[in-house]
Amino acid sequence: MKKTILAALAMGLFTFQAYAADTVKIALTGPFTGGSAPMGVSMRDGAKLAIDEINRAGGIQVGANKMKIEVVERDDEGKNERGALIAQELSSMGDLSGVIGTVNTGVVLAGDKYFQEKGITKIITPAAGSASMTQWSKAGVKDLSIFRFSADDGIQSAMVVEDAINRKLTKVAILHDSTNYGVSGRDDLLDQIKKQGNKLQVVATEKFNIGDKDMTAQLLKAKFGGAQGILIWGIGPELAAVSNGMAKLRMKQPLIGGWTLSMSNYIDNAGKNGNGTLMPQTFIEDPITPKVKSFIDSYHKTYGVSRIPSPMSAAQGYDAVYVFAAAVKQAQSTDTHKIKDALEDLRDPVKGVIATWKQPYGKWDPANEQTHEAFRRGQVVMGMVQDGRVVFANKADRQRLIKEAGK
Amino acid sequence: MYTLLIVQLAVSGALMGMVYALIAYGFQLTFATSKSINFGQGELVMLSAFFSLSLIDSGLPYWLVVPGGMLFGAVLGLFVERAAVRLSLEQKGEGWILLTIILGLLGFSAAENIWGRDDRPFPTPISSDPLHFFGIDVTPLELSVAIGVLAVMGLVELFKRKTLLGKAFEAVSADRDAAQLMGISATRTIQLSYGLSGLVAALAGILVAPITTVGPTMASVLILKAFSVAVVAGLDSGFGIVLVGLFLGALESLTSFYLGSGWREAPGLILLILALAVRPNGVFGKASIRKV
Repeated sequence: MKKTILAALAMGLFTFQAYAADTVKIALTGPFTGGSAPMGVSMRDGAKLAIDEINRAGGIQVGANKMKIEVVERDDEGKNERGALIAQELSSMGDLSGVIGTVNTGVVLAGDKYFQEKGITKIITPAAGSASMTQWSKAGVKDLSIFRFSADDGIQSAMVVEDAINRKLTKVAILHDSTNYGVSGRDDLLDQIKKQGNKLQVVATEKFNIGDKDMTAQLLKAKFGGAQGILIWGIGPELAAVSNGMAKLRMKQPLIGGWTLSMSNYIDNAGKNGNGTLMPQTFIEDPITPKVKSFIDSYHKTYGVSRIPSPMSAAQGYDAVYVFAAAVKQAQSTDTHKIKDALEDLRDPVKGVIATWKQPYGKWDPANEQTHEAFRRGQVVMGMVQDGRVVFANKADRQRLIKEAGK
Repeated sequence: MYTLLIVQLAVSGALMGMVYALIAYGFQLTFATSKSINFGQGELVMLSAFFSLSLIDSGLPYWLVVPGGMLFGAVLGLFVERAAVRLSLEQKGEGWILLTIILGLLGFSAAENIWGRDDRPFPTPISSDPLHFFGIDVTPLELSVAIGVLAVMGLVELFKRKTLLGKAFEAVSADRDAAQLMGISATRTIQLSYGLSGLVAALAGILVAPITTVGPTMASVLILKAFSVAVVAGLDSGFGIVLVGLFLGALESLTSFYLGSGWREAPGLILLILALAVRPNGVFGKASIRKV
């Protein structure tokens, strides 16, 4: 009896090893608990949908055999120090093909240096802070293994300012939180206002801390400064406090800000006060094409929800996996360095739910971070909160995306 | 126009200050009888809010959730007294300091595991649509906080003055040894004060939850402010605590308007330092007389 168990164990061990050698090992990291969890969880679940689809079809064709994707998950809780530890652990794994994830810009800054040191290919999604990529151009790194699959704050702040100008606003107030993300968002906004011809006069620049619930003072400054719109950079719970504060003070000005205004913990906590809020989005949970519909339906079905907590994180996670898989196929290898080279020169277009990705990345050039940024202005649209969901703010964008997908 | 602005700022801030006052009152209740306080009071606020949220999720109407949550808070208070305070006081030791902190940490982890780490909205039938009074905007939700705070503090003070049990409470506060010689059980009275303190913490949690949302860290900011209020006002006076709470809330709001939002936390801390340096017994506290 004992012998058979041992034999079975040995067999199991043997088959497991044989299996491990035939897989592409990808790590998914992000905050799966805590304030940014809606984004982390959606990103992970979207990525796993793509991985399941690939595995069900047999895997990625590498040489003569098909290789399945094996997932390693790590929860960084949105904390910089946990992110650094996880990055150290993953980068010492040896057989890891790549990393996808990270929501918080602070975590990116704390952890990515370990991946870069070992040359491990990482696709950042959905963290958007500009510093995630500019840190490498500032350091003048010649060869970079970090890529981004997210509309960076530069694109987003440009769109926010553009939208305010299109709405014929002339006086605005900028509100931001006191984290890395909020402060760099404020700088991006001020920068964009200057770039777009100083058409907006900033009547107040106010900050708030994580956990603040009473925004009366900041909002009154905006109100009495004569602001016609509020431009904002922060995350869910505090954004909701701002929205609720505006309702209390009867401020009907439009609230326009970073994509975090689409987080479910903003939408839920602001309730009806959130209606009309505007933010850039890479993906909107609206079944505009059959491919998008099947993605949304399978997300709902697989995870038993009627609303994706952060639709764009989910879509970005999903598309990032397909882009990564295409690179593995082109490299014909699970070696992370070869995958990096393939990503920098991806020959076949990758059909995703956000767009069809044609050569999303180029050879890294420290003078131009865009070489490792996948998103361009055209892939981003303005979204608007309406009755607990994010919808297209402009009908024209919706039509355009349907047309582009048809091509 | 300008005075209206100041009034609006002060009123909004003062209404938040009422919550600081209510939590501080929880400190004061136990300090009066036992000269000890529960350093895990913030976790009591948070746990009761989470428990009430679960009651709401189970379909109970709001008007039953409030007493249910308060009862839960009172039970937690009694538990803290038994587990962390009683034996340490019997030995005239200071072990309760560490023990109450540890119980708080335990409560925090428990909440993270039971309810998760996310901030969740707390549904309430009280409207958050603004009302307009003499040019300033206040929501019924904020008013409910003020009314709730004043009502529960009024009731507890009335209880202390008008009932036999309450008189025992006052007697133990005044002089524990003498009260015991008169046949009043100090242990029972301290137990009562911890129960009341838990009840008050729970009410604070329920009142403030629709504004702050419910999450494991919801009380961490509030508790520091409440502590400032308790120390500045002095741990002897319920009336003083309300006044200082209102004052601190209004001051915070005005500071963040005039000096910039980064200075918001400053007045509370400065007041705390000033109080400790100049009037260690608090502005409304009685000077301690040590008989030699």
